[in-house]
Amino acid sequence: MSPRLRRGERPFPPDERLPEPPRPAGLVLDARLHLLDRQVVDVRGDPVAIVDDVELEERDGRVVATDLLSGPVLATRVFGGRPPRSRWHRVAWRHVTEVGVVVRLGVRGETLDVLWVERWLREHVVGRVPGGRHDPE
Amino acid sequence: MKKFLAVALGVLTAIGGFVDIGDLVTNAVVGARFGMSLVWVVVVGVVGICLFAQMSGRVAAVSGRATFEIIRERLGPRVGGANLVASFLVTVLTLTAEIGGIALALELASSVERRLWIPFAGLAVWLVLWRVKFSVLENAAGLLGLALVGFAVALFQLGPDWGELVAQATRPQVPAGEPVPTYWYYAVALFGAAMTPYEVFFFSSGAREEKWTAKDLSVSRANVLIGFPLGGLLSVAIAGCAAVVLLPRGIDVSTLSEITLPVALAGGKVLLALVILGVVAATFGAALETALSTGYTLAQFFGWSWGKYHRPAQAARFHTAMAVAVLVGTLVLLTNVDPVAVTEYSVVFSAVALPLTYLPILVVANDREYMGDHVNGRATNALGLVYLVVILVASLAAIPLMIATGAGG
Amino acid sequence: MILSDLLDARVHDAAGRALGFVVDVRLVLDGPPDGVLAPPRLHGLLVSPRTGTSFLGYERTDENAPAVLARWFRRRHRGTFLVLWDDVAASGTDEGPGVVLRDGYRRWDPALPPHRGA
Repeated sequence: MSPRLRRGERPFPPDERLPEPPRPAGLVLDARLHLLDRQVVDVRGDPVAIVDDVELEERDGRVVATDLLSGPVLATRVFGGRPPRSRWHRVAWRHVTEVGVVVRLGVRGETLDVLWVERWLREHVVGRVPGGRHDPE
Repeated sequence: MKKFLAVALGVLTAIGGFVDIGDLVTNAVVGARFGMSLVWVVVVGVVGICLFAQMSGRVAAVSGRATFEIIRERLGPRVGGANLVASFLVTVLTLTAEIGGIALALELASSVERRLWIPFAGLAVWLVLWRVKFSVLENAAGLLGLALVGFAVALFQLGPDWGELVAQATRPQVPAGEPVPTYWYYAVALFGAAMTPYEVFFFSSGAREEKWTAKDLSVSRANVLIGFPLGGLLSVAIAGCAAVVLLPRGIDVSTLSEITLPVALAGGKVLLALVILGVVAATFGAALETALSTGYTLAQFFGWSWGKYHRPAQAARFHTAMAVAVLVGTLVLLTNVDPVAVTEYSVVFSAVALPLTYLPILVVANDREYMGDHVNGRATNALGLVYLVVILVASLAAIPLMIATGAGG
Repeated sequence: MILSDLLDARVHDAAGRALGFVVDVRLVLDGPPDGVLAPPRLHGLLVSPRTGTSFLGYERTDENAPAVLARWFRRRHRGTFLVLWDDVAASGTDEGPGVVLRDGYRRWDPALPPHRGA
């Protein structure tokens, strides 16, 4: 059972109608609904990474997202805890051109660190088996 | 004209591709023990797979997202990860059964021992995955699989009492001498054989491979709504042959030669050869589909580049994963497990894993962010909810029934 | 600070009363662009009496199909409210006190604006 407040502990009546907040002046993203676990694709539409987390920083009195974080962090995301900073791959927000069903970047995936396993397998394993570098027929 | 040919090809491929080793074995086993009294399950299963494949194909074509991408995006890493593990394991189990099926069919055709065919089958599956284009692979296997229509031919040749067969099918009752839980165990197994999860991973990923858009949906609908029911009829023919030939003789199905015995009796060597060709093609095609599905599920969940339309070097992790899956299946078979037994387990576990993929697809098919105006209509949702209940019941009942009946013993 | 530090954190008011858990973080792309798009600004926190992903956010959108499922998912997160980041006094990490709201914080309807303000 996920942790939750017991019925007696709940501070507010469950069905009360709350006022609508002042409308924000831009696209609204709820992190878990619209950003986390989404596919990041490069400018050609090829998959780059999954958004595993987001780096937030204070700038001019506002807290903004500066990088999308990705990495071999499935275990910590499932079980809890936080991996050291060195295990994160960063995709800087300035590369992001669109946030929809996928997060689209304006650069090629080749330029990003996050694809190193793919590149390694390509160079050392798949590329060496005959036919690996040819189009399928 | 071109569109008509495309639809015709799609339908024929769907018919030939519908039957895999799970359908072959389960329908024959059921026919030999229960006659036609479980045919209604095939009907329920066919309607279900049509609904499910249609929804997942539409979701993939409109949103550009395939099944496991959606599972990850909608369920998050924890629940999605559990879903991945279960679906992946069931798919690998099914892959093992299919490779086993190829070896069994080749053994039947050649009288060369099946253990010698197993590495050959595994290697052949991998080679085709490595080099052959997606559309070629799908069409070839599907069209050759049509040879299974030999079962329907055999059924006619056997000249059964059609009235009796129809009566058994439309007024189902547990035959005397078979316990009721066993009847329901085989109902679940038959349901799992018709509604295999890998079919949906494959269908939705295939939609992305062939770059379907909303415009292609009417063609895909025709393929599914005509092709799958006709494929279901082939399954029923297999059960019918077993019911007519094996049931009266009290022969239980445990080998492929028993499954094809009715064909040999009805049409001699020629028809038998045709059907064996069909079995090889159908199981080979299904092995390709399940192997691709293992690649699709992992790659889509972890966000790797995937797809046969890439050259292998452009989708290195995808191809590596599939090669490993085929290798694992081959090695498991080389330990001399009975492929027919593996098949029987794979269909039951398919039934168990089904809700995990069905529920996210049903929900996303209603999500306007993904689907725009192509969300489910009310009729689809109503049917979808009915099937959700059926799938949940089958999934929850599967393991207890398996334990209670000793896996149908 | 990274985003997942906030997710599933306990939320208390200034008097120490437990209010629930952070079930999502609302970001808004307003402000000067960083590259092509404005960087997402931390606008507020969505607080719910329970943790657990809100499976499609049924309580925040007007998606209501399939009806039976929508009703079930909406019930799970009844009592969810939005609190603006300005009303957050402190946000400790890990085992710390979690998120503490300042005196006089306001609770808002958690619904997303239509078309999400785009």
